[in-house]
Amino acid sequence: MLFPTIDFGLFFAFALWLVWSLNSRNLLKKWVLLALSLAFYASWDWRFLLLLFASGAISYLVGLRVGQEAGARRPWRKAVLALGIALDLGILGYFKYLDFFIAQALTLAHAFGLNPPLEFVSVTLPVAISFLTFHAISYIVDVYRGRLRASRSPLDILLYISFFPHLVAGPIVRAHEFLPQLASPRRAEDFGLSENMLLILGGLFKKMVIANYLAVQFVDPVFTDPTQVSRFDLVMAVYAYAIQIYADFSAYTDIAIGVAALLGYRFPQNFNQPYRALGPGDFWRRWHMTLSTWLRDYLYIPLGGNRHGALMTVRNLMLTMVLGGLWHGANWTFLIWGTLHGVALVVDHAYRHSAFCARFGRTRPAMALDWFVTLQLVCVGWLFFRSPSLDVATQYLAGIWTDNGAASTMPGVVWPLLAAGVFTHIIPPDSRLRLGEWLDARGLSAQIGFGAVAMYVIIVMAPSASAPFIYFQF
Amino acid sequence: MPPLARRLFAIYAILAITVFAFPGGLTSWLDDRNRTGWLDAPLAAMRAVDAASAAIGVKAVGERLRTQFRSAIGDDED
Repeated sequence: MLFPTIDFGLFFAFALWLVWSLNSRNLLKKWVLLALSLAFYASWDWRFLLLLFASGAISYLVGLRVGQEAGARRPWRKAVLALGIALDLGILGYFKYLDFFIAQALTLAHAFGLNPPLEFVSVTLPVAISFLTFHAISYIVDVYRGRLRASRSPLDILLYISFFPHLVAGPIVRAHEFLPQLASPRRAEDFGLSENMLLILGGLFKKMVIANYLAVQFVDPVFTDPTQVSRFDLVMAVYAYAIQIYADFSAYTDIAIGVAALLGYRFPQNFNQPYRALGPGDFWRRWHMTLSTWLRDYLYIPLGGNRHGALMTVRNLMLTMVLGGLWHGANWTFLIWGTLHGVALVVDHAYRHSAFCARFGRTRPAMALDWFVTLQLVCVGWLFFRSPSLDVATQYLAGIWTDNGAASTMPGVVWPLLAAGVFTHIIPPDSRLRLGEWLDARGLSAQIGFGAVAMYVIIVMAPSASAPFIYFQF
Repeated sequence: MPPLARRLFAIYAILAITVFAFPGGLTSWLDDRNRTGWLDAPLAAMRAVDAASAAIGVKAVGERLRTQFRSAIGDDED
């Protein structure tokens, strides 16, 4: 059930009425929210529900065992935590990485003339398995660290992991942000209607218009066979993909945040004009912010962060980014993407601590260069990220390096789509909030009029069918 | 009107206007899923909405704008 579909529109219309009608009966409302979330997940494949239940059970039981309640003795806390994380990662590894590692082992074995009796497991990758794992691990680790009390309610834990707005592609919501919101009935007036309506409408526009057309009209054909495409088109397709993936992924999380808010639940921000970043470090403070902070809090800092000297900092940055790359999928292209960002962060870290940066780093030319270099680096990363295989990425780079003499076939519509992507980065970050307040102040008819006109424009411009969100596969 | 009622009214009004402007999508959606007749009632209601939208010309305007836009953008192959 994709967000920009009639299926989800009907589901949301039903859920909105049901959830608010039960608002004063909080326990019943939570059961209903859980049932809705399970139905949402089961719309892909009901067998995936077993995964949700397993993940919820692990989190609940481990959470109870590793909690730091005052006066309570909890022997083996660390071992139980390690077991919980291992189980969560084991599920992820089985579904997502086992075939990849079997393939690598077989390749290596064949190179040495061996033929081990290894067979591929060939299981269907469950939707959202990575996001499930992130939520589950963050809960048990936060409980272990004493940042939050272990929940006594299996319902709350299962609802935290499976809540349908964030279930499939985030944003990654921390348990300490979400669980307290389940404790009492919600107040509709705590969430601006127009602001969240704009978030959803903006998300629909980014996905249905910008991302869909860029993908279908230009990016997908170029990446299908880069050897037949002109050098100009190859370069432009990388920039187009940068806009496409931003429009696609930020659209999903914008809609998720807006839908959750209309139901009365607050999610964290996930994007902040990432292509305005001045440096790779800044990019990761603006791109998929909830993943960046997750990797920082549950991987980089536990590894030692920057507390043990320059060499260990380099190691920790590289490990974090390589694993972050691998999280996206079992493919060498993601590994290279993560490694590239790891190296960039290491260089960025050294630059930020240099005397040169202290003296010239805040000057306009240095900041302009910072922005330009960061954008190019991010786009080179996207080339690997988008390529279906390392071979295609190599062909792509070779095509940029050596002109094949082909004429450009880039459709003219790409220019306004790129301009729309750029526009999302040059408008003031608080413009949605301001427009929302302006609409709220004008009353119900303005809200309805604006919302209806915006929906009309989006449907007029939308293609007949929407491609799945890019991050569904992760 | 209480804040919650205003909010719900606004959201459902936007959805209703959208369905009225483009009734074809939901009608087809219901039709596709009505193999055993369990959606006869909502389908009949949607056909009435579709007819009303067509009668006052709203449906035709939406369809024409969609066709023109897709033709302009080069996405009119289907």
